Amino acid sequence: MIFSKRVICGLFAASFALLVSCEEKEAKDSEKTGYSRDQTLYLSGSQWGDPNTFNPLVEPWLVAWPANDRFNIMYEPLTAYNTITGVTEPILGIYQKELSNTEKIVVDIQPEAKWSDGKPVTSTDVKFIYELGKRFPQASVSYINEFVSEIKVDTVNNVERLSFMVNKKARNNPLAILDQLQAVRIVPAHVFEKYLADNNNDFDAVKKLKCDKDPVVSGPYTLDQYNNERIVLVRRDDYWGNKVLHEGALPVPKYIIHPIYKNNDHFAINLQKGALDASMNYIPRISEKKKDGVSTWYDAPPYFVPGSMHFLYLNHTKAPLSDKKFRRAMAAAIDYSAISRLALSNYTPPMKPGLIMSSGLEKKYYSEEEVTKHSVSLGDKEYAKKLLAEAGYKAIFDKDSVLKHSIGPNGDTLPSLLIKAPAGWSDWEAIVNLVVKQLRSVGIDVREGFVDGSQYWPALPSGDFDMIMRKPPVAVTASLPWNRFNAVMSSRNWRPVGDGNSMNENEGRYNNPSAANYNKRVDDLLDIIPLLSDEDSLKVAYAELNNIFLDDQPVIPVCHLPEEYYQFSTKVWDGWPTEKNQYAPPQLPWVGSGINTLWRLKSVK
Amino acid sequence: MLKKYPTVRYVLLRAIWYFLTFLVAIALNFFLPRVGSDPGDIMLAQSSVSSPEIRKQTEESLRKSFGLIVVDEQGSIKRDENGNAIKASKFSQLTNYIGQVFKGDLGTSFKNQKKVSEIIAQALPWTIALQLPAILFGWIFGNGLGALAAYRRGVFDKVIFPLALLMSSIPFFVFGMVLVYFFGIVWEIFPAVGAYALELTPGFSLDFLFSAAYHYVLPFFSIFLILAGGQAIGMRSMGIYELGTDYIKYAKWLGLKETRVLAYLFRNAMLPQLTGLALSIGQMVGGALITEMIFSYPGLGMAMLTAIQTNDYPVIQGVTLLITTSVLIANFTVDILIALLDPRVKQSLSMDSK
Repeated sequence: MIFSKRVICGLFAASFALLVSCEEKEAKDSEKTGYSRDQTLYLSGSQWGDPNTFNPLVEPWLVAWPANDRFNIMYEPLTAYNTITGVTEPILGIYQKELSNTEKIVVDIQPEAKWSDGKPVTSTDVKFIYELGKRFPQASVSYINEFVSEIKVDTVNNVERLSFMVNKKARNNPLAILDQLQAVRIVPAHVFEKYLADNNNDFDAVKKLKCDKDPVVSGPYTLDQYNNERIVLVRRDDYWGNKVLHEGALPVPKYIIHPIYKNNDHFAINLQKGALDASMNYIPRISEKKKDGVSTWYDAPPYFVPGSMHFLYLNHTKAPLSDKKFRRAMAAAIDYSAISRLALSNYTPPMKPGLIMSSGLEKKYYSEEEVTKHSVSLGDKEYAKKLLAEAGYKAIFDKDSVLKHSIGPNGDTLPSLLIKAPAGWSDWEAIVNLVVKQLRSVGIDVREGFVDGSQYWPALPSGDFDMIMRKPPVAVTASLPWNRFNAVMSSRNWRPVGDGNSMNENEGRYNNPSAANYNKRVDDLLDIIPLLSDEDSLKVAYAELNNIFLDDQPVIPVCHLPEEYYQFSTKVWDGWPTEKNQYAPPQLPWVGSGINTLWRLKSVK
Repeated sequence: MLKKYPTVRYVLLRAIWYFLTFLVAIALNFFLPRVGSDPGDIMLAQSSVSSPEIRKQTEESLRKSFGLIVVDEQGSIKRDENGNAIKASKFSQLTNYIGQVFKGDLGTSFKNQKKVSEIIAQALPWTIALQLPAILFGWIFGNGLGALAAYRRGVFDKVIFPLALLMSSIPFFVFGMVLVYFFGIVWEIFPAVGAYALELTPGFSLDFLFSAAYHYVLPFFSIFLILAGGQAIGMRSMGIYELGTDYIKYAKWLGLKETRVLAYLFRNAMLPQLTGLALSIGQMVGGALITEMIFSYPGLGMAMLTAIQTNDYPVIQGVTLLITTSVLIANFTVDILIALLDPRVKQSLSMDSK
């Protein structure tokens, strides 16, 4: 007995010693304590998991917020696209629309733009990042070479004028260059050239640097500290843009904290409690949170501004999905309003067929008349059954009217089609469950196929699916709706289905260029549209492309959702942009021209 | 061999068995994640690169940095006759991995390029700080209650037993969510999310320690109460069984003091419970995934889950190595303790050697 007591005491002592020694290590890297709530803006929804590197040259999916992707708080792009007005607004550069054409995109560098170490932002910085892919093909920005052949620099009235020459031999797409102006953040060339020189020009060695101690940035905030629970940014009071872009005002919050949550519910809980000021992720039933001071762009459904379509991609190499009539019948059989109501808390406006949205900036290309002429009637079960019967499909139901199987036009029993979706994505799971129920009720044999993320992602590019839920990586930029058509219909990079044959657009393998029924017009239109500038010919071209989409139904759009959700709390900060006060687009104040919100917030206290 | 020292022999035999188990576990931990798709595929599919040439380049550069393709001395990729990169065989990956582990290098996460040892060092203190006290106190408290309920019976048992049964049959996540809902959201007595107030920086300041303690309450009780419930039930039935045995009856007939009898009872009934404790402590380092998710609490569970979802081999291997080692050490310790504590086992050891 005495012996066991000793053992237990020893165990206790050892474990506490271990604890203390570990915690001590953690304590060292902190000096400051406390960020006062009324000076701090809490934003969340971008960083998941432990932050590690803030090096802007590393692949974006490995980099921590806000050094990754499209955030322009620390490193800034040349311009910002306003998703409400469609205007390309200046940041480090000023887009010269009159001088730009199908040969080049012209941007003037802001002469007063400065890095945080006092050096000016120049064409050298811009060329460094845009041409990095020419020096190091493995750099994540090397795709730019397909769009930009070279950057010419002139000096006009002491201002550096950059001409991004359209790469005529490769993609020949000025529209995509315009997108890049906002997507590519400029990094200080003098800093990174030095890193490269110190590492014998070894790019992979430079990518290992974390860039998390006093980074040289041009934006209004910089990294203060970070750990696995949050990332803290601190305002740079000498930010060059305060004078040039914001009439001398400072951004209102002194600090920005991005809490890192492990659970989707925590966004809603913290917004309601006033511990989080705004977030960009999906929160169900947002209208019920109004009473706790959580608001959205619109006060009534759809609450958010639609910007992206989520699709059911179909594998065109498998029967019966290769049959246009079958695909059209599926599009007709789905009840989209039920999906919006039951799966998406009414965040989708009433669905219009086709790839052009009937609201916002795309509205000018949308023609109700054309769409009605070509589309199947949506959410019409009887009509869908009629289409199936006409195409020779039969459904066998048992005596309880449960679908047993379906029979194809040539008399074969059709296999059950699986709809792949990542397990745990609750909104998509709900959509898939409804789609399965609705399609089975008209006699189409489909089943849910929820898979782990490690199976879902590789299945997409290799085409390993019957049907799959997909939101193509299409941002709301100047090139919409072209980039949406491109993501869904382009056969430019067509590869057969199978391992090692990856496609990152048109994953369902629609319109095989080597097949007899290849419709070359689709790819031609996709090539022509970026070169068109007058609205009338654009409208004609988009209508033709949309009609082909409606006739062929290569994929099925299931809902129109915001590209990024935008919900905010007015408990600590007020003055957020909304439908009634559209000074900035419905985005968190960290991307595009949404960043302007930082100068207009008001402390509630 | 070693017939004269049965205990030493026993310890040695156990040690050999545990070492073999360890090897098998390591091999499984290594090969099982590699059955499915490659982490390069998963990451590339999430990127928006569309040009096939650039995709191929990115893919190769990713796989190269992951050590999944063969490189020569200059660090350039070896190719077959079709110009495709040669994939590293699983066996060469295994030898690489074992070599590194013996050098104390657990590798670097594919997902965010963080050192696995760093991931573990940052998360493990939280995992232990949350779970070790909850497990130990839950075990002591639960066993105490169980023993009392078995001995006293009557009203005491009639209250404790159903309560413990209820606690032990509620799943962790349901109980955690109930705690969050009532204490965190409706009554707002305790914070619902996080391990400390985010305006504070972790360190040895009073503010931080207070905040951490305040945030600790709900996650602690979400584990403690459920564990205590399970232990109480086990101890109660063990206790009731032991009460019916001859030695307790004999002790009572002898007129021994009640506390003395209770001590005998406790000592014997505790043995199976002790094995349970060791198992919980061993498994503890894997993290309390559910608790971490419900409270956004730091710890290893979430790191493990994301690693599995993205096939982040080095993290999976690092964490499973840690779990395997601690489960085996805990079990080994218990085996030895039981041999020392339990006269029956001790007896059988010396019998075997004769």
